[in-house]
Amino acid sequence: MKAASLLRTWEFMLAVVLVLELIVLGLINPSFLNVENLLFSTSDFAHVIIAAVGLTLIIMTGGIDISGVSVMGLASIVLGLAFIAGAPIGLAAAIALAVGIAAGAFNGAVIASTDVNPLIVTLATLFLYAGIATGLPTLLDMLGFVAYGAGGFEAYQYEGITGLPKSFTWIGSGRIGWVPMPLVVVLVFAAVATFLMLRTRFGRYLKLIGVSPAVAHFTGVPIRRTLVAVYAINGFTAAVAGLVLTAYLGSARSDLGSEALLSIITAVVLGGSSIYGGEGSVLGTLLAGFVIGFMRQGLLALGITSDVVPVIIGGLLVGSVALRIGLAKLNTRLANRAAFAAERMAVGGNGASLSNGDPH
Amino acid sequence: MKRIVKSRELLVLALLVAMILAVSTVNAAVLRPITLINIVNSSLFLMLIAIGQMFVVLTRGIDVSVGAIAGLAAVIFGLALNAGFPLPLAMLAALVTGLACGSFNAAGIVVFGVPPIIMTLGALGAYRGLMRVLTGGSWIESIPQSIKSLAVTRYQSVPLMVWAIAVLVVVLAVLLSRIKSVRNFYAVGDNREGAYLLGINVRATEFTAYALAGLFSGAAAIVFTGQIGFVPMQTGSGQELKAIAAVVLGGVGLMGGTGSIWSAVIGALFLTAIDSMMIFLKVPGSWNNAVAGAVLLAVVVFDYLIRRTVRNRQLAMRAAEMHRAEEDHDRALQPREAAR
Repeated sequence: MKAASLLRTWEFMLAVVLVLELIVLGLINPSFLNVENLLFSTSDFAHVIIAAVGLTLIIMTGGIDISGVSVMGLASIVLGLAFIAGAPIGLAAAIALAVGIAAGAFNGAVIASTDVNPLIVTLATLFLYAGIATGLPTLLDMLGFVAYGAGGFEAYQYEGITGLPKSFTWIGSGRIGWVPMPLVVVLVFAAVATFLMLRTRFGRYLKLIGVSPAVAHFTGVPIRRTLVAVYAINGFTAAVAGLVLTAYLGSARSDLGSEALLSIITAVVLGGSSIYGGEGSVLGTLLAGFVIGFMRQGLLALGITSDVVPVIIGGLLVGSVALRIGLAKLNTRLANRAAFAAERMAVGGNGASLSNGDPH
Repeated sequence: MKRIVKSRELLVLALLVAMILAVSTVNAAVLRPITLINIVNSSLFLMLIAIGQMFVVLTRGIDVSVGAIAGLAAVIFGLALNAGFPLPLAMLAALVTGLACGSFNAAGIVVFGVPPIIMTLGALGAYRGLMRVLTGGSWIESIPQSIKSLAVTRYQSVPLMVWAIAVLVVVLAVLLSRIKSVRNFYAVGDNREGAYLLGINVRATEFTAYALAGLFSGAAAIVFTGQIGFVPMQTGSGQELKAIAAVVLGGVGLMGGTGSIWSAVIGALFLTAIDSMMIFLKVPGSWNNAVAGAVLLAVVVFDYLIRRTVRNRQLAMRAAEMHRAEEDHDRALQPREAAR
């Protein structure tokens, strides 16, 4: 009961932290609080939140997928190469998303059909997908595809593929009313994921698997199918994140997003998800993503070099987990004490009956 | 079961030899001694951090910050040398840095109960950032070039550095097989509760594992700087993942409790050899990561299949045994029933 009410307020605490953060940053630099600036600065870290939303669903099952950052780069370069090879941009984006889903589903299939730690499986595919992303241009050259430009496809590896059409880059730099497109994508994904998690059987399955795979198995949860699906979804969100970032930067690169891993996992864990599964919310991830993103912006605006930012984000990650563990321990202790007091009341203050049992 | 686990290092070693022989049919230059020496020489850095990682994985933990620790230790090493410290003191500084970083991880994990992946991932960001803060983001280049003497001087055409590490590995292997408390790592990794009930100090064992991972990363930093003579900002970047891949490849089970120092050594050799083989097969370097990832994936899945087969066989044997015991029991009862 107490734990549940505490959990329910974790998002509230994050919201408070977010507001405080904005106020503090605004006090230091008033131009920071300009609504238009504030909204547009989200475009810098929208890809982190999109990827973190997908990862939240996976961490819910007690798994993890660190290969998402490679899928971002893979989707980006696939889009670029498909576009250069002559595909219309819509088709190119569809191919990139399909590659993302396939990459995720492959992770899920391996994880679901072996007992190998998801961390190791996705560590291997982190290398694999990143390697494919960097190797793809040279492979296309070797296969004899007609490349535009003197250096062949390989030349694009270093400078990125630019010249993407306006209809695509609009996803990264356009806006609807006041709201920039990347933020729209973030909100849509967060809404859909929240719906999935809270209102569908699939969401229940995710939580059940996270709480106890054995119980889930005996309750008749289709574990394999659910796992493959959730990793495929994460592949999809990672690919979308990659494409949004590609559109925002205006160039398709194979190493896109490779530094985002720390921020993505921090967003999920700071958002209240337990790395052991069964606990977490998309709303928390969303709020935590904003907290981290604005903090980064604010620190840079304060003139702190970008080198220090990972130190602070890393500290935030470890600190938030330590805090949650501490709170949980404190909670258990309080609950134990309450139970002890209740038991004492029940036996009418007569400690004699307790002397045999261990009150703890 | 025991036989298979014991031969896992040999299996990977055989695979390594087979791979080199296979590549030699395409390009005979692979078999030149200098090529093989170079493979060993360039695997030293990975080998050392893999040995450190081994202790952690033995206890069923994971440390993704070892590469960053090596980077930070290399920066300290470089700065100490540039500040005019004598070489032994600078080396000590690098080792202490590694040990301190490892102990910091260990404190978070053991004392505060932060999950290892979270703690070391956070530390990864912190150490990498610290590295840039200390150097202002630029490479450390003006290191006295005398430190390269160990890597450049050769005895029997093998660099002294390789000899030194070889001796270190052999001494470590002997020590590890002689010291009784080394078994604690295996016990804790195999069954944490069981180890606790046996009276093993589980927390101290885990703490030591992460501290050792840091210490060996510090040693790796010295080797790295000694080999190339400067400290780039990317020192150790991505190596943490390779170190995990190496120990898993060499047979350290991620579920803890299996593997040895030879796992780390052979795993590191194997991964480094793959990179070299790619060159001899004229595969573009951009494919190296893909191949390393595919090999790691193949090995862990193969490992799972072996374990499953072994377990199924054990279960079948146990079932047969129970069946037999039941029959014996029935047979023992029959005469009595007949007598009744």
